[in-house]
Amino acid sequence: MNVGCHTSNFIHVPRSRQFGNKNFSSLMLCSLQFSVSLGMQDDHRLSTSDLEKKYGTSIDKGLSSARAAEILARDGPNALTPPKATPEIVKFLKQMIGGFSILLWIGTGFSWISFGIQLAQGVDSAFDNLYLGVVLALVVILTGIFAYYQEAKSTNIMASFSKMIPQQALVLRNAEKKEVPADQLVVGDIVEIKGGDRIPADIRLIFTQGCKVDNSSLTGESEPQSRSCDFTHENPLETRNIAFYSTTCVEGTATGIVINTGDRTIIGRIASLASGVGNEKTPIAIEIEHFVYLVAGVAISIGVLFFIISVSMRYKILDSIIFLIGIIVANVPEGLLATVTVSLSLTAKRMAKKNCLVKNLEAVETLGSTSIICSDKTGTLTQNRMTVAHLWFDNQIYSADTSEDQTTQPFDQSSPSWTALSKIVTLCNRAEFRPGQENLPIMKRVVVGDASETALLKFSEVILGDVMSIRAQNKKVAEIPFNSTNKFQLSIHETDDPHDKRFLLVMKGAPERILERCSTIMINGKEEPLDSEKAEAFQTAYMELGGMGERVLGFCHLYLPENEFPENFKFDTDSMNFPTSNLCFVGLLSMIDPPRSTVPDAVSKCRSAGIKVIMVTGDHPITAKAIAKSVGIISATSETVEDIAKRLNIPVEQVNRREATAAVVNGMELKDMSSEQLDEILREHSEIVFARTSPQQKLIIVEGCQRQGAVVAVTGDGVNDSPALKKADIGIAMGIAGSDAAKNAADMVLLDDNFASIVTGVEEGRLIFDNLKKTIAYTLTKNIAELCPFLIYIIASIPMPIGTITILFIDLGTDIIPSVALAYEKAESDIMNRRPRNKRKDRLVNEQLAVYSYLQIGIMQSVGAFVTYFTVYAEQGFLPSTLLGVRVDWESNAINDFEDSYGQQWTKYQRTYLQWTGYTAFFVSITIQQVADLIIRKTRRNSIFRQGLFRNKVIWVGIFSQIGIALILTYGLGHVTALNFTPLRFQYWFVAVPFAILIWVYDEIRKLLIRRYPGSWWDKNMYY
Amino acid sequence: TKRVLLFKILLFYVIFYGCLAGIFIGTIQVMLLTVSEFEPKYQDRVAPPGLTQVPQVQKTEIAFTASEPRTYEPYVRNLDNFLRDYSAELQTENIVFQDCGDVPTEYKERGPYNDAQGQKKVCKFKREWLENCSGLNDPTYGYKDGKPCILVKLNRIIGFKPQAPVNESLPPEVMAKYSPNLIPVHCVAKREEDVDKIGTVEYYGMGGYPGFGLQYYPYYGKLLQPRYLQPLVAVQFTNLTYDVEVRVECRAYGQNIVYSDKDRFQGRFDIKFDIKSS
Repeated sequence: MNVGCHTSNFIHVPRSRQFGNKNFSSLMLCSLQFSVSLGMQDDHRLSTSDLEKKYGTSIDKGLSSARAAEILARDGPNALTPPKATPEIVKFLKQMIGGFSILLWIGTGFSWISFGIQLAQGVDSAFDNLYLGVVLALVVILTGIFAYYQEAKSTNIMASFSKMIPQQALVLRNAEKKEVPADQLVVGDIVEIKGGDRIPADIRLIFTQGCKVDNSSLTGESEPQSRSCDFTHENPLETRNIAFYSTTCVEGTATGIVINTGDRTIIGRIASLASGVGNEKTPIAIEIEHFVYLVAGVAISIGVLFFIISVSMRYKILDSIIFLIGIIVANVPEGLLATVTVSLSLTAKRMAKKNCLVKNLEAVETLGSTSIICSDKTGTLTQNRMTVAHLWFDNQIYSADTSEDQTTQPFDQSSPSWTALSKIVTLCNRAEFRPGQENLPIMKRVVVGDASETALLKFSEVILGDVMSIRAQNKKVAEIPFNSTNKFQLSIHETDDPHDKRFLLVMKGAPERILERCSTIMINGKEEPLDSEKAEAFQTAYMELGGMGERVLGFCHLYLPENEFPENFKFDTDSMNFPTSNLCFVGLLSMIDPPRSTVPDAVSKCRSAGIKVIMVTGDHPITAKAIAKSVGIISATSETVEDIAKRLNIPVEQVNRREATAAVVNGMELKDMSSEQLDEILREHSEIVFARTSPQQKLIIVEGCQRQGAVVAVTGDGVNDSPALKKADIGIAMGIAGSDAAKNAADMVLLDDNFASIVTGVEEGRLIFDNLKKTIAYTLTKNIAELCPFLIYIIASIPMPIGTITILFIDLGTDIIPSVALAYEKAESDIMNRRPRNKRKDRLVNEQLAVYSYLQIGIMQSVGAFVTYFTVYAEQGFLPSTLLGVRVDWESNAINDFEDSYGQQWTKYQRTYLQWTGYTAFFVSITIQQVADLIIRKTRRNSIFRQGLFRNKVIWVGIFSQIGIALILTYGLGHVTALNFTPLRFQYWFVAVPFAILIWVYDEIRKLLIRRYPGSWWDKNMYY
Repeated sequence: TKRVLLFKILLFYVIFYGCLAGIFIGTIQVMLLTVSEFEPKYQDRVAPPGLTQVPQVQKTEIAFTASEPRTYEPYVRNLDNFLRDYSAELQTENIVFQDCGDVPTEYKERGPYNDAQGQKKVCKFKREWLENCSGLNDPTYGYKDGKPCILVKLNRIIGFKPQAPVNESLPPEVMAKYSPNLIPVHCVAKREEDVDKIGTVEYYGMGGYPGFGLQYYPYYGKLLQPRYLQPLVAVQFTNLTYDVEVRVECRAYGQNIVYSDKDRFQGRFDIKFDIKSS
């Protein structure tokens, strides 16, 4: 059998031209079909005995344990191989060479080279360079380990998540039934399944009883499909006698032979193909890369520039190399990438609390830049359970409460018609609560029965109370279950009134079929003849309820006359020895899977945040549209082309498509669309619903959205969603309903399956983007204050103002906690009121941010630090004028009587010690001014006083830690020679304070002018 | 308009950096107002004083061949330059110089550290006191004979008054010429194995004392004593073993002269001699 790509309708294969260059997905699906056809060959056609022969098994006895073990050894366990993970060592090495690490490795290399040369020359201070190299290497390794650890931690959350309780399967082996873990199943095993079980492998059914399976995880179609032993279709995917791995048996029982296990199952093949869809870089990864290039570019160009300058100023090459190391170290924000990782994981933690579990840290921000969300309907937008939404009796439509936690129903229940209707609803129902749930809220109880009956059971339980005892009081004497030919369900009961010996016949079913069987209708408790006027009223109500996308059921009853049906009458459901026509019509009930109560609000938030919400569902267009309208995906005022046509009473073709803001696209239409047509729909309509779509079409929709330049978030739960989840910029899998394959492919898992959680995620994502901007601005500023000393040292030949090791203590010591603290900053304005960022224009680090941090605040910091430096030297005897041009003598080991401004003479060590005091003073000044920098970075536009100085407590933790670490370094470790810190006179801590205040005031003025003159030159150049 | 924009930005930065430069210079000026021009605010980093030698040498090594003047010429020039200020003809002005005697005496206090009384006088230091190492008789300071001289001096520190050592703590050789107003200087072999290679060591100082007289202290600074002559001790090694490295350590002794492991030039120094026989 060789099923071609285009002959089957199981998977809607798009024509390859729709994909242009990106035809991998069509190829993928095509090859999937091909392999499926090959792999399954003809198991579904073989007779039972042939199967027994083929797999060497026996239907009565099953495999022998020994044989099973043999096959298990050959085929491996019946489990999906998890997607091939990058080896840990590769991940680790990636962290070691990623980002700034290369620059720092270069610095390390230079340090060691100059150590080697100086050692050969016998220079005393050669070992300083060795140590510096070691420190730099340590910095790279430690930050690498840290980033790796963070990454691993977030991956672990996921790993623990996927480890679910092992599934058991009931298998026949050695002629004995026993439970074994599902992963021990082998080809040829005879397994039994019953309602509620997950199918443990691909199974050819050999015995079934009322068996129905839910193939939604495979096909996305949520309607249960019946299964039998008959070979009904050439295509193994369509035939009824095969049940697939990971789908669920909804009801009935079945026995079957395992024909495929593990990765050879259909699901296994899809999953392995999905992993072929490449991972694209996340927006934040792109941003950080951009930022790293920027900073590295600055570092290298300044480094090389000053290397050339120092060589041409006749510095020794070796010295020039040492300067180069210093410039690199000063320019590289060593701690920043770790800070970003921490900030992202803090946000990830916060999001996990709000039910968004982030697998990949960078996805946190991606969610924030999302511009289109393609959402599932069932379970995500809706509650995923049928609920009674409307009732019609006494010629009137009543609305029922459909919220998640209903305990009463508010509609008018005084009419005797309602009493009659409620009795039918209660009695003509086979669904039952599982025992032992009396303490649970009614809506949460588990029910055995199909979706509609469950809805009716819960509905009546809410209104009437103990349904089970009502049923017990009205003993059932006969019953005809629902079937597709009759399209009704009927049961006959004794009444609960001991004086009334009549039997009550109750019936429910498709409204038009029920009405056919009625001759009267109950109005206000009285039976009235069903005339055409009343039938008209019924039609209107039926159409109205149906038009809302609801599933409508009709209810009728008949009290059987006591004389014809005495107490001991034997009802026979086969011969139907009782009337089934001329009944009394009582009312209609309509049901829908109602939207979650939080969703409309969330959708409107998305709308104001400029995010387009597209509904993609396998449901019927009418239902889809109704739900879309009720949650606001299609707003109350907008119309589809069909709506306009209906309103103006013209054919659909004549409608101006541009007038329609909304569109409901059917999967069948989508199938025939070219990518240009799809693009046009996505462009022209702001409110779009895709109905009756297959999960494969989701991929096409996602690609269409991405062609518009959008950052697309996609929700999905089925296995077939996994390519779309992978393709999307951010794939969101459902935590409750989602399959493992979907969770594996996704970047994020929504623990409560609730659309509203996505919106909180978006908010967090946007906030972290803003806050990362602040963090980076904060971190970059002091790089200039670290760099300037080197440049001035080279040009003016003053004693070195700050040491390379000291710089590392700022970058990796005092600055770390404050920069993380900025991640806790609250939003400045409602971030959900602006459009998603344009990933090409709104960069994380833009020109304004770099220029303002580097050329303005950074320079101010340098000035402040230099004032402290000159003060320290002047008060020790070296006035600023004496310091210029002294470098060579100052650093000479031979000169131990170096003269200061007062004629005093200094030994080399005394000068070095003074130089370290200078380092410490410079360090302290930068720290003090970084406090001001931290405060000004709290906001980018608003005044600090509006944001509140004390609202973000973590900032204060940051400030205290900063000062605390500086105190410890200065006074605690001031005697450790290698660290180059010395105890500092207390007054020097305050020299830079006026400059810190200046920075604050200047920034407030900047913000004031930005607020005052939006769009002005100042705004354009000063707002980052 | 692009030009206008560029000009605007340029103008902004000119003003911005202009203001910053103004603030910087202003703050530095204010800071300088708080600093006295006669004595530094703090001296905790410069004291206790270092001890240094002339000639000043790289890697603290004096290596030469007695028969080849070219090899010791830099040392001689260095010594010549240093001693120029000590020539008798430069110490004639009585307004500047004061004769402080030929033997060590008490500190010479010269009033407060300001110019209320004008410049302070300085003590004369006679070059002849250095005898063989004065360069007056032997312009090669003994180098041509393989008997090199070095000059030892204590680093200048404003207001620093070195205190003469207490008797017990001194090596017996130092005690030979003891004076209560003397900071003695003494050189010994740095390493045990060099003790017999160092030979005789001659000391020439004021009035034949191997040390610094206290009358030269305290120092009043560059502004008040621009022509201050710090006291010197010349040390001549007359019988050094040739063709081996001999390491010598010289110390100045005083109650407030201390030595440190970290600063090898504080109160002492060491120097290597490597004299080639040919």
